[in-house]
Amino acid sequence: MSIETSTPAASRARTGTGQASAGVIERVPGPAERDAKAYRRRGQLSDNLLRWGTPILVLVLWQLFAMAKILDPQFWPSPGAVAQSLVENVSSGYLIDQLQVSMLRFFAGWGAGALFGLVLGAVLGTFRPARMAIEPLVSAVFTVPKLALFPLMLLLFGLGEMPKIILIALTVFVVVTISTATAIVAIPEGMKEPLRSAHATRWQTFRHLTFPMVLPEIFVSLRITTGMGVLVLVAVEMVQGASGLGYVIWSSWQVYDVERMYVGIITMSLAGVALQYLVMWVGRLVMPWRTAGKRTA
Amino acid sequence: MNAKIDAKDVRRNFTTKSGEVEALGPFTMQIEEGEFVCIVGPSGCGKSTMLRVVGGLLNPSSGSVRIRHDGPESQAVSIVFQDYSIYAWKTVEANIRLGLDIAKVPREEANERVERWLRRMGLWDFRKAYPQTLSGGMRQRVSLARALVVEPDILLMDEPFAALDAQMRAVMQEELLAICQAEKRTVLFVTHSLDEAILLADRVFVMSARPGRLLAGYDVPFERPRTPDLRGTEQFAHLENEIWTLLRNEVNRDLTNVAADGRSKKLEAIS
Repeated sequence: MSIETSTPAASRARTGTGQASAGVIERVPGPAERDAKAYRRRGQLSDNLLRWGTPILVLVLWQLFAMAKILDPQFWPSPGAVAQSLVENVSSGYLIDQLQVSMLRFFAGWGAGALFGLVLGAVLGTFRPARMAIEPLVSAVFTVPKLALFPLMLLLFGLGEMPKIILIALTVFVVVTISTATAIVAIPEGMKEPLRSAHATRWQTFRHLTFPMVLPEIFVSLRITTGMGVLVLVAVEMVQGASGLGYVIWSSWQVYDVERMYVGIITMSLAGVALQYLVMWVGRLVMPWRTAGKRTA
Repeated sequence: MNAKIDAKDVRRNFTTKSGEVEALGPFTMQIEEGEFVCIVGPSGCGKSTMLRVVGGLLNPSSGSVRIRHDGPESQAVSIVFQDYSIYAWKTVEANIRLGLDIAKVPREEANERVERWLRRMGLWDFRKAYPQTLSGGMRQRVSLARALVVEPDILLMDEPFAALDAQMRAVMQEELLAICQAEKRTVLFVTHSLDEAILLADRVFVMSARPGRLLAGYDVPFERPRTPDLRGTEQFAHLENEIWTLLRNEVNRDLTNVAADGRSKKLEAIS
């Protein structure tokens, strides 16, 4: 997962400084300056090799160890066997169906949680009395392991989709609320003064300052909550019901289909990566000022 | 080579999303040992870029800078930045100590040097304070002390007083004059204030609009030790006027360039 989103290796200046002769320090063009294009290309090549090479290397080693019977295929089937199971499960349509069910649950829960979190976070960040009254409550809910509430959810909402979606939403909601409120409270007074002196209303202040200013923090929390949401999703699917990727993984274990178990795990993790990239991509789209005018070398 | 700093045809380009931008050069200059040189120029002309190249923070795209220096490289140059760049989580004392800690100067010697600069800068009573609690002038003093405590061969200053109010700036200029007169040190000082440049420098280099080249160098004829009273003399005003006449053209040229840039961008967007 790329933490560093926009700087290729080329921008990390390698110094051209060197001791030319005794008592003289030279500042001269380094490799990055002498041939900027080649340097950038080398940087990108190295980035890509590391990015794609590492997982490939892991898979190759895994395959080799499996073939050499160093790994017990009962627990560690070879990547080839897993790939075969993947093809079977995709072509039968089973995996796609389960992925779709899981993603629908995820998006319903995550979306609702994020939306309510944004609203409550904005309210808490803006109105001090609300913060005083509700923040302790939010903190308390934050500490409760959400999975512990699942039986209660089942009791309240029955056996359908609702309890699963609500549990994911709750997980996401609390984190987004806290992030948003904290970010709003942290806005320096000096940033608000141009709007105050222009007699902006609360809504205008929110629109012109608060919202854009806290967007970066909101997107960090959105990215983090994709992981938390997936965790809760898989857990509840394992515990209850007969659909979704969590169920695929769990039922594979029960019938001792180890290959399919891996297929479930890998699909889930790829979906998680895709979700995070989606969040980051949307973040770049809605915050053009963050990447504008960045020097690339 | 005899010059302390010998810069030859230094250029620097930057790659932005809209393409390659020439920020500097070709820029050529020589600075002698013990000289105080100020670089002035229109905003965006690359004067800070030049300073960063000399300081080794940025490589030149082409050309070279040769610095004559004996001894460890850590003592060759110190830089004072415009925005202080002092660390909020370190006390005044710890901030000043930074360079010494990194150079692994023995504790006793470091203590002694830090104390000397704390007293000299009038920071002794604030040595345990965090930067957040200090005024801008105080913070810039910390930054100056942090640069000087390593006793660098060359002091590079990037518009160090630009963020200070006029009175504080005057006080800091006076202090810098006193420090430089007490111990001769090679100083390269970037500023946009002609008045500041003439008061402090032995020579003033004027840069052209972007990409900055050396337009002219002026010898500042005033004897040291100097005091800020110089500002009242006719000679001072005359020199300031002379430099400003040259610089004004460049500032205007820069403004037209910006306007032209804007136009061509719009044209690109249309076509």
